[in-house]
Amino acid sequence: MSVSDHTRWSEDLAAYMLGALEPGEAAEFERHLDDCERCQGEARWFEAAVNSLPESVERQEPPPGLRAALMAEVRADAQGEERRERGGWLPGWLREGFGARGLRIATGLAVVAFAIAIAAGYEIGKGGSGSESNGGGVTLSSHEHGITAKMVSEGEGGTLQLAGVRQLPPGKVLEAWVRREGTVEAVPALMVPDRKGQAETTITSMKGVDTVMVTEEPQGGSEAPTSPAIVTMSVSQ
Amino acid sequence: MAVRREKAERLADEELMPLVSRKDPEAFEVLYDRHGGAAYSLAYRIVGDRAAAEEVTQEAFISVWRSGARFDATRGSVRSWLLSVVRNRAIDFLRSKAGKAPKLDFDDEAALEQRPAAERTEEEALRRETATEVRGAIGNLPGEQAKVIELAYFGGFSHSEIAQILSLPMGTVKGRMRLGLEKIRGELAEGLA
Repeated sequence: MSVSDHTRWSEDLAAYMLGALEPGEAAEFERHLDDCERCQGEARWFEAAVNSLPESVERQEPPPGLRAALMAEVRADAQGEERRERGGWLPGWLREGFGARGLRIATGLAVVAFAIAIAAGYEIGKGGSGSESNGGGVTLSSHEHGITAKMVSEGEGGTLQLAGVRQLPPGKVLEAWVRREGTVEAVPALMVPDRKGQAETTITSMKGVDTVMVTEEPQGGSEAPTSPAIVTMSVSQ
Repeated sequence: MAVRREKAERLADEELMPLVSRKDPEAFEVLYDRHGGAAYSLAYRIVGDRAAAEEVTQEAFISVWRSGARFDATRGSVRSWLLSVVRNRAIDFLRSKAGKAPKLDFDDEAALEQRPAAERTEEEALRRETATEVRGAIGNLPGEQAKVIELAYFGGFSHSEIAQILSLPMGTVKGRMRLGLEKIRGELAEGLA
């Protein structure tokens, strides 16, 4: 590489380190950086200066609610994860003690709870709820008490997005459920609405799902719905 | 299994990260307590609004929680990585609110006195010393160099956008960025010597 070639790249280095190159330029620069030890050395030298910039800002005290909201979401997530690792929504004693028969019993119990929750949910929503499908894999459903639910398809699965959810009482989370070919499944990732009343969860597969429902559950989630549905959506396959 | 809070507090950031990627809330909480203040301050510095800064900080930490495995210890400290996540989120936020101008002033000495009194650890004290040095280094920059660095780092503008904003040739903008970073780096090195 000639000196003039290197000078050209060297001029871009500071802009690259500050994130000020256009995406195409940055990609081109990175290809050069991979092969140029001189630029790598300069980049390491500049890195300390760039990393020091955020340390220069005036310190602000974060709002006290931020930590609490963040940790509520994190703990709900961790409990959902733990639950999924333990075997989804099924209680351990059923899985371990009763095998396939236990699975059938648990499924039956959940179906009953699901039906009750849906019935109660419609009761709540009477007079203002409804659902519609735009035919493009996105189903919308709104309820009288102001919650808008949107299912956005992504590959086989999708993201269930809620808006207008009121703040939950302490120790409560939102749990989504799907009914797939008559079997009810809990969606592993629990939800805690943010400050704006928005929450979302991912449903990894929507194959065979005819209904999606959301209920309010104790922290850590439940094995089957324990409260009326605040959202119920019919899914057109 | 989650580590106890007291144990997590004794761990270095780099030791906490594997626990965070295994979804340990206690490890994550310690990480937030160590860097949440700096993260929120940076977000506020970029977006200039408390509610937006809160939203950006929460989103950034949640993305760290969900993608902790992406941290690469060979490429720098946890704190730098975390603050870069916050910066990217904040810049995205600014871009999504196109037309909103970012705050573009470096802190003055009077503002330093308003910092919260949370000087709990030696590490924090060292950070504050570094922050003072950095403020000094930035404060000593010629205005035109400070301006291009502000617009790029805190405003999220590209060099060509900055050239347009300041009516300067692109080469001049890049040159001022380089000179400015060289001076900051040089002063930091002197401070460490």
